[in-house]
Amino acid sequence: MNTFRKAFLLVISLLAFILTSAQNRIDFTEYDLDNGLHVILHQDNSTPIVAVTISYHVGSKNEDPERTGFAHFFEHLMFEGSENIGRGEFDKIAMNAGASLNANTSFDRTFYYLLLPSNQLELGLWMESERLLHLRIDSIGVETQRSVVKEERKQSYDNRPYGTLMEKTFSAAFKEHPYRWMPIGSAESINNATLEEFMEFHSIFYVPNNATLSIAGDIDVESTKKLVQKYFGDIPRGTKEIYRPDILEPVKTAEVRDTVYDNIQLPAVVQAYHIPAKGTPDYYALSMLTTLLSDGESSRMTKSIVDKQQKAMFVGAFPFALEDPGLFLVFGIVNSGVAPDDFENAINEEIAKAQQEELSDREYEKLRNKVENDFISRNSTMAGIAESLSDYHMYFGDANLINTEIDRYMAVTKADIKRVANQYLTKENRVVLYYLPKQTL
Amino acid sequence: MKKLIIIIIATTFAVLPQFLNAQVKTVKSGGKKEVLDRSVRPQPAPAPVINIGKYESFELDNGLKVFVVENHKIPRISYSLILDYNPVPEGNMAGMADFAGQMLRTGTTNLTKDELDEAIDFIGADLSTSSTGVYASALKKHNGQLLTLMADIVMNPSFKEEELAKLKTQAISGLKAQENDPDAISDRISKLLVYGAAHPYGESMTEKSVENISADHCRAFYQAFFKPNIGYMAIVGDITKAEAMDLMQKHFGNWKKSEVIQFMPETPALPASNIVAIVDRPGAVQTALRIGYPVDLKPGSEDAIKARVMNTVLGGGTFRLFNNLREDKAYTYGAYSQLNTDKLTGRFNVNTEIRNSVTDSAINEVFFEMRRIREELVPEDELSLVKNYLNGNFALSLERPQTIANFAISTARYGLDADYYANYMKNLAAVNAEDVRAVAGKYIKPENAYILAVGKAADIAPRLGQFTGGKAIRYYDFNGKEYDPNTRVKPAPEGMTAENVLKSYVNAIGGEKALNKIKDMTMMASTTMQGMTIGFDFYRKSPNKYMMKVGAGEMVFQKMVFDGTAAKLISPMGGENKVLEGNELEDMKVEAEMNQELHYAKLGVNLTLEGIEEADGAECYRVMLTYPSGKQSTQFFDVKSGLKVKELSEQGTATFGDYREVNGVKFPFAISQQMGPQTIDLKVLSIKINSKLKDDLFNIN
Repeated sequence: MNTFRKAFLLVISLLAFILTSAQNRIDFTEYDLDNGLHVILHQDNSTPIVAVTISYHVGSKNEDPERTGFAHFFEHLMFEGSENIGRGEFDKIAMNAGASLNANTSFDRTFYYLLLPSNQLELGLWMESERLLHLRIDSIGVETQRSVVKEERKQSYDNRPYGTLMEKTFSAAFKEHPYRWMPIGSAESINNATLEEFMEFHSIFYVPNNATLSIAGDIDVESTKKLVQKYFGDIPRGTKEIYRPDILEPVKTAEVRDTVYDNIQLPAVVQAYHIPAKGTPDYYALSMLTTLLSDGESSRMTKSIVDKQQKAMFVGAFPFALEDPGLFLVFGIVNSGVAPDDFENAINEEIAKAQQEELSDREYEKLRNKVENDFISRNSTMAGIAESLSDYHMYFGDANLINTEIDRYMAVTKADIKRVANQYLTKENRVVLYYLPKQTL
Repeated sequence: MKKLIIIIIATTFAVLPQFLNAQVKTVKSGGKKEVLDRSVRPQPAPAPVINIGKYESFELDNGLKVFVVENHKIPRISYSLILDYNPVPEGNMAGMADFAGQMLRTGTTNLTKDELDEAIDFIGADLSTSSTGVYASALKKHNGQLLTLMADIVMNPSFKEEELAKLKTQAISGLKAQENDPDAISDRISKLLVYGAAHPYGESMTEKSVENISADHCRAFYQAFFKPNIGYMAIVGDITKAEAMDLMQKHFGNWKKSEVIQFMPETPALPASNIVAIVDRPGAVQTALRIGYPVDLKPGSEDAIKARVMNTVLGGGTFRLFNNLREDKAYTYGAYSQLNTDKLTGRFNVNTEIRNSVTDSAINEVFFEMRRIREELVPEDELSLVKNYLNGNFALSLERPQTIANFAISTARYGLDADYYANYMKNLAAVNAEDVRAVAGKYIKPENAYILAVGKAADIAPRLGQFTGGKAIRYYDFNGKEYDPNTRVKPAPEGMTAENVLKSYVNAIGGEKALNKIKDMTMMASTTMQGMTIGFDFYRKSPNKYMMKVGAGEMVFQKMVFDGTAAKLISPMGGENKVLEGNELEDMKVEAEMNQELHYAKLGVNLTLEGIEEADGAECYRVMLTYPSGKQSTQFFDVKSGLKVKELSEQGTATFGDYREVNGVKFPFAISQQMGPQTIDLKVLSIKINSKLKDDLFNIN
């Protein structure tokens, strides 16, 4: 009887899954312009808005080690104006059109988006094509943005409690690979850069054959194709070689430990383990391992270390997935009165448990349910869909992963999770940082 | 804390909104020969019809009002329950409703917290609770289970004392962190000023009020206000009205209704003229400035849309205040205003953080902008930019089905016209410059504001006198207690001298004879400083040898040695190593003297009796000490007991308590020392007298 019930439940959950996939499918059209610009269009006419996004396949890892922070600096320069858009006007044109806009830069790519009322689609295409074709870079703009970026660095990194944590972690974990510096770069290298160098950077990386234009929302596919051709078709293909680092970080042979003193109230501990690039089978298993450890109140580290032992205010495990091999991060802020090593021991106990014991069926099912919920809930906005399509194309050459990547998570077995815990979460493969309050004695 | 983590991770991506105003140049025509004339900015296509999404609604027999917004894009459903009650003043239990809200998520009569956590995570759901409601969402296939859990939380919370204890510990740590946070201080005191201590909107949690709260209080609060007849349930997602009706009846049909008392606080009045208040932060390099007052502006009222346009022009984004104070004057990184509507009492508020030296200039500029918008008509292009911006915000927000649900609930809660939101864009478009000036005249009050400056009083107080209209500046502490800085120190009685105060102190701790018997002394103390247990070992030998060691376990972080003539700081774990010279050495000489209180004259320390001041609830003599190095410290001696209870110095405040007798001399066993933003509580573990310490312990090499 019991077996029958299980089989029944299985069928039910499979059915639900098929239904889900069917209902949630994101349809899209994709093609290349002659100049190499990749275009992805997703039509959804339910709300009269459109997201016009463009992603350039350049992040901090494409930078010269002497000129870190360039990719991010460009994100700022791109709002300075173009041949036909005066300085400071980019924002005003957007506001007047009722649009919102923003951008971000990662280790691997730079992403710009405009969210517009759908009757302003053409304006959005014009604005993006302007700054791709003939961005205005002059010394006034460069000088203004130099000071703004310096303030940004102070505010977001230097002057914020734990603000340098990612920077310290990555520089300790990577010795060869350009992931050793952050997208914000160093203040010094931005200071030393010349106008010519910025223009050179634009001519190498800001070319149609290094970009993906992803549009989602209230559009008509055929007329949108014509508009895209109109504004982007005659932008010349880039002629310079696009630098893509081919640097393999050497395998670690011994644990690295360090202490950082910061203006903080409570100590923090970070462990960082080297893991394979995103999209690899082991990446999905590691991602589910982080869910097991710290996603939700009942997750193992949260329940044991935060709720029961009350050793930390917060603990989290994150798969910091990157195009090249990245890091598995465990991070926590300890409670007042708890020694950081006591807290780290508690983390290590949970990792050891994941390495030694196979998880229960119920726990495994919980992970799958969580992953499924997150995957399905993700694509609820036009801007989100445009960005996902663009990323999937840029990183994996397969925009359809927006519909199918869930299968890769679902293929992860209990044994896989235990195996990756043993394979990657080893002492010699990690960097451990203690953040301690600055000694004012 | 999760937010903090997300910020840390997000920072790596350096997401930056690009709102930088700069000189506007006219658009030049492109010089290149191109087929497409790119200098021509595309015109918008005909404006799309913006439909405010549809919703359905029904009411259960128990009075629960339900709103359903169907959206089948994603097989997911969310439930948001809001309870519409007027907040109640909590007095010496401020924060109680917040605790009650959090406790809903910590167990029911059917499920322990562990079971509840597991059940919610198992279906991959989000579920959170607050003092005004519950939010839950999950994929449709888990809908039944989700509603079972949500209903259990809403109807059968268990309010266990041990779960409250965990929450209280967290809240008290949070308050400690807030004491050093100018934003948090400004929030607390500005709402106190605007609404008054008796109004529920004016209250803030304190360590004392947290201590007073019990699980029974939380349960009583829940029983009074978590009733279906004041509830609004918004259901959004992959569901139909018919399904929703069945499910609501099944899960919430048994929820018992009962009358809820709606507390009506007195409406706070505008101050008759400007009032200036200061929260003193002696170390502050910036002033956190708030300018605000209560306003009578109800949601959906006739003025609401006009007032929104007006406030946006003034400072609701990167507009006038931002352009003036940041772009033009460079006083600040940002300056904004808010004009909030509220069913009881709304609020106008300007906030900015500026350099101490421009505190008065910044206030003048804020008032300049407040007067300008009252007096002058807004130029047409500026008005249309703001209207387009607001129009866009509204249109883009419609993408989220939750927006439609919020509209439906606001319409019902505030008794708005059924087509209020449908007509929103039309009414926004109709706002003209005259309307803006009219509502500015009504709601912008540059003569009736509370000006709160959180900063270094010694620097900023002299700059603020001009704004009070001759009245005294009000001073508040973190907990909102007002004090008079001028009557803090009362004159000491005739004939009393600093020497007498010191003499009675020496007598109180055991007398000169007993003190002189001390030849050496070993004191062990420890603190849990921000997570680490740190040991402090002090060694002294008469007349003036001194050694202090700071460490954890076997590790020694720092060591300070004085051999009677030379002093050295040693940091074995990395850090500074140096031989003390000049003033530092002079200070060390005084510090190292055994029983320095007996030898001030010889050491060249000058004493001045400044008067009598209250410290931690006791009358104290306040004595200023000036050391040979020129450094000063202020010490407080309890008038009754004669004991030293407090010392203010460069490093901050130190307090002394728990005096215990060792070999006939009293020593403080509890010492707390402020160090920058933190306070170190030192517990003395042992004091040994005359254990024949060897001289080489104090060897500086």
